[in-house]
Amino acid sequence: MSNIAQGLAILFIIGGTFFSVVGVVGLVRFPDIFTRLHATGKVGIFGVVLLLIAVAISTPLGWGKALILILLLVISGPVTASALASAAYRIGIRPVSAVQDDLQQTIKKP
Amino acid sequence: MNTLFLFVTYFALFIHVAMMAIAVWRVWRGENVIDRILGLELSSTLLLAILVLISLIFQSNVFIDVALALAALGFISTLALARFVVREQMY
Repeated sequence: MSNIAQGLAILFIIGGTFFSVVGVVGLVRFPDIFTRLHATGKVGIFGVVLLLIAVAISTPLGWGKALILILLLVISGPVTASALASAAYRIGIRPVSAVQDDLQQTIKKP
Repeated sequence: MNTLFLFVTYFALFIHVAMMAIAVWRVWRGENVIDRILGLELSSTLLLAILVLISLIFQSNVFIDVALALAALGFISTLALARFVVREQMY
Protein backbone atom coordinates (compact mmCIF):
# COMPACT_ATOMS: atom_id res chain seq x y z
CA MET A 1 0.00 0.00 0.00
CA SER A 2 1.50 3.28 -1.06
CA ASN A 3 1.68 6.47 0.92
CA ILE A 4 -0.42 8.52 -1.51
CA ALA A 5 -3.34 6.07 -1.41
CA GLN A 6 -3.21 6.06 2.38
CA GLY A 7 -3.25 9.87 2.53
CA LEU A 8 -6.23 10.01 0.18
CA ALA A 9 -7.98 7.39 2.32
CA ILE A 10 -7.39 9.53 5.43
CA LEU A 11 -8.97 12.52 3.67
CA PHE A 12 -11.99 10.46 2.58
CA ILE A 13 -12.49 9.04 6.10
CA ILE A 14 -12.42 12.54 7.61
CA GLY A 15 -14.93 13.78 5.00
CA GLY A 16 -17.31 10.88 5.54
CA THR A 17 -17.19 11.26 9.32
CA PHE A 18 -17.90 14.99 8.94
CA PHE A 19 -21.02 14.32 6.85
CA SER A 20 -22.24 11.68 9.33
CA VAL A 21 -21.79 14.10 12.24
CA VAL A 22 -23.74 16.76 10.30
CA GLY A 23 -26.58 14.31 9.69
CA VAL A 24 -26.86 13.21 13.32
CA VAL A 25 -26.73 16.82 14.57
CA GLY A 26 -29.59 17.55 12.16
CA LEU A 27 -31.49 14.55 13.57
CA VAL A 28 -31.20 15.96 17.08
CA ARG A 29 -31.80 19.63 16.30
CA PHE A 30 -34.45 19.81 13.56
CA PRO A 31 -38.12 20.44 14.51
CA ASP A 32 -40.22 17.91 12.57
CA ILE A 33 -39.97 14.61 10.73
CA PHE A 34 -39.57 15.94 7.19
CA THR A 35 -36.55 18.11 7.96
CA ARG A 36 -35.06 15.21 9.94
CA LEU A 37 -35.44 13.00 6.87
CA HIS A 38 -33.63 15.66 4.84
CA ALA A 39 -30.75 15.67 7.35
CA THR A 40 -30.35 11.92 7.76
CA GLY A 41 -30.23 11.34 4.02
CA LYS A 42 -26.71 12.76 4.18
CA VAL A 43 -25.49 9.91 6.39
CA GLY A 44 -26.48 7.29 3.83
CA ILE A 45 -25.39 9.08 0.69
CA PHE A 46 -22.26 11.03 1.62
CA GLY A 47 -20.91 9.42 4.80
CA VAL A 48 -20.91 5.74 3.92
CA VAL A 49 -20.09 6.33 0.24
CA LEU A 50 -16.96 8.32 1.12
CA LEU A 51 -15.91 5.58 3.56
CA LEU A 52 -16.42 3.00 0.80
CA ILE A 53 -14.27 5.03 -1.59
CA ALA A 54 -11.59 5.02 1.12
CA VAL A 55 -11.90 1.21 1.32
CA ALA A 56 -11.64 0.88 -2.46
CA ILE A 57 -8.49 2.98 -2.81
CA SER A 58 -6.56 1.87 0.27
CA THR A 59 -7.23 -1.84 0.81
CA PRO A 60 -6.13 -4.51 -1.68
CA LEU A 61 -9.67 -5.79 -2.23
CA GLY A 62 -10.44 -3.32 -4.96
CA TRP A 63 -13.43 -1.60 -6.47
CA GLY A 64 -15.85 -4.50 -7.18
CA LYS A 65 -17.94 -4.96 -4.03
CA ALA A 66 -17.47 -1.33 -3.04
CA LEU A 67 -19.06 -0.21 -6.32
CA ILE A 68 -21.98 -2.63 -5.85
CA LEU A 69 -22.54 -1.30 -2.31
CA ILE A 70 -22.30 2.34 -3.46
CA LEU A 71 -24.89 1.64 -6.19
CA LEU A 72 -27.23 -0.05 -3.68
CA LEU A 73 -26.91 2.86 -1.23
CA VAL A 74 -27.48 5.54 -3.88
CA ILE A 75 -30.60 3.74 -5.15
CA SER A 76 -32.06 2.83 -1.74
CA GLY A 77 -31.49 6.12 0.13
CA PRO A 78 -33.99 8.36 -1.71
CA VAL A 79 -36.53 5.51 -1.93
CA THR A 80 -36.61 5.00 1.86
CA ALA A 81 -36.70 8.75 2.53
CA SER A 82 -39.64 9.19 0.13
CA ALA A 83 -41.50 6.20 1.59
CA LEU A 84 -41.07 7.45 5.17
CA ALA A 85 -42.20 11.00 4.26
CA SER A 86 -45.25 9.64 2.43
CA ALA A 87 -46.14 7.40 5.38
CA ALA A 88 -45.76 10.32 7.81
CA TYR A 89 -48.09 12.50 5.74
CA ARG A 90 -50.66 9.73 5.35
CA ILE A 91 -50.99 9.05 9.08
CA GLY A 92 -51.63 12.73 9.76
CA ILE A 93 -48.29 14.36 10.59
CA ARG A 94 -48.03 17.82 9.04
CA PRO A 95 -44.93 20.00 8.53
CA VAL A 96 -44.43 22.44 11.39
CA SER A 97 -43.57 25.67 9.61
CA ALA A 98 -45.05 25.07 6.17
CA VAL A 99 -46.44 28.15 4.42
CA GLN A 100 -48.56 26.34 1.85
CA ASP A 101 -49.75 22.71 1.79
CA ASP A 102 -50.79 21.72 -1.72
CA LEU A 103 -50.90 17.99 -0.98
CA GLN A 104 -53.86 18.42 1.34
CA GLN A 105 -56.33 19.05 -1.48
CA THR A 106 -55.15 16.21 -3.70
CA ILE A 107 -54.62 13.40 -1.20
CA LYS A 108 -57.49 11.26 0.04
CA LYS A 109 -57.89 11.22 3.81
CA PRO A 110 -57.30 7.72 5.22
CA MET B 1 1.71 7.29 7.84
CA ASN B 2 0.42 3.93 8.94
CA THR B 3 0.10 5.07 12.55
CA LEU B 4 -1.81 8.21 11.47
CA PHE B 5 -4.10 6.07 9.31
CA LEU B 6 -4.89 3.74 12.22
CA PHE B 7 -5.44 6.68 14.58
CA VAL B 8 -7.88 8.40 12.18
CA THR B 9 -9.75 5.13 11.59
CA TYR B 10 -10.12 4.35 15.28
CA PHE B 11 -11.25 7.92 15.98
CA ALA B 12 -13.89 7.71 13.25
CA LEU B 13 -15.00 4.35 14.68
CA PHE B 14 -15.43 5.93 18.13
CA ILE B 15 -17.46 8.82 16.67
CA HIS B 16 -19.71 6.43 14.74
CA VAL B 17 -20.40 4.30 17.84
CA ALA B 18 -21.32 7.45 19.80
CA MET B 19 -23.66 8.58 17.01
CA MET B 20 -25.27 5.13 16.95
CA ALA B 21 -26.02 5.56 20.66
CA ILE B 22 -27.80 8.83 19.78
CA ALA B 23 -29.84 7.06 17.08
CA VAL B 24 -30.86 4.27 19.50
CA TRP B 25 -31.86 6.94 22.03
CA ARG B 26 -34.06 8.44 19.30
CA VAL B 27 -35.76 5.06 18.87
CA TRP B 28 -36.40 4.93 22.63
CA ARG B 29 -37.69 8.51 23.03
CA GLY B 30 -39.21 9.36 19.67
CA GLU B 31 -42.06 11.78 19.05
CA ASN B 32 -44.11 9.46 16.84
CA VAL B 33 -43.80 6.16 15.03
CA ILE B 34 -42.15 7.55 11.90
CA ASP B 35 -39.49 9.16 14.10
CA ARG B 36 -38.69 5.77 15.63
CA ILE B 37 -38.54 4.08 12.22
CA LEU B 38 -36.16 6.85 11.13
CA GLY B 39 -33.98 6.09 14.16
CA LEU B 40 -33.90 2.41 13.20
CA GLU B 41 -32.95 3.23 9.61
CA LEU B 42 -30.22 5.63 10.77
CA SER B 43 -28.79 3.08 13.21
CA SER B 44 -28.72 0.49 10.38
CA THR B 45 -26.80 2.93 8.17
CA LEU B 46 -24.37 3.77 10.97
CA LEU B 47 -23.81 0.05 11.64
CA LEU B 48 -22.95 -0.28 7.94
CA ALA B 49 -20.42 2.53 8.33
CA ILE B 50 -18.96 0.79 11.41
CA LEU B 51 -18.56 -2.44 9.40
CA VAL B 52 -16.77 -0.53 6.62
CA LEU B 53 -14.42 1.03 9.20
CA ILE B 54 -13.69 -2.40 10.72
CA SER B 55 -12.89 -3.63 7.22
CA LEU B 56 -10.46 -0.70 6.89
CA ILE B 57 -8.79 -1.55 10.20
CA PHE B 58 -8.34 -5.27 9.56
CA GLN B 59 -7.77 -4.86 5.77
CA SER B 60 -10.23 -7.72 5.31
CA ASN B 61 -12.77 -8.66 2.68
CA VAL B 62 -15.34 -10.40 4.87
CA PHE B 63 -16.92 -7.34 6.47
CA ILE B 64 -17.79 -5.82 3.08
CA ASP B 65 -19.95 -8.88 2.37
CA VAL B 66 -21.69 -8.46 5.74
CA ALA B 67 -22.23 -4.77 4.95
CA LEU B 68 -23.77 -5.68 1.58
CA ALA B 69 -26.30 -8.03 3.20
CA LEU B 70 -27.04 -5.47 5.92
CA ALA B 71 -27.70 -2.72 3.33
CA ALA B 72 -30.20 -4.89 1.46
CA LEU B 73 -31.95 -5.98 4.68
CA GLY B 74 -32.18 -2.42 6.02
CA PHE B 75 -33.69 -1.16 2.76
CA ILE B 76 -36.35 -3.88 2.65
CA SER B 77 -37.20 -3.59 6.37
CA THR B 78 -37.63 0.19 6.26
CA LEU B 79 -39.94 -0.04 3.23
CA ALA B 80 -41.96 -2.82 4.88
CA LEU B 81 -42.31 -0.89 8.17
CA ALA B 82 -43.46 2.27 6.35
CA ARG B 83 -46.06 0.31 4.34
CA PHE B 84 -47.23 -1.49 7.49
CA VAL B 85 -47.72 1.75 9.43
CA VAL B 86 -49.81 3.27 6.66
CA ARG B 87 -51.86 0.13 5.99
CA GLU B 88 -52.64 -0.84 9.58
CA GLN B 89 -53.17 2.72 10.91
CA MET B 90 -51.07 2.22 14.02
CA TYR B 91 -49.50 5.26 15.65
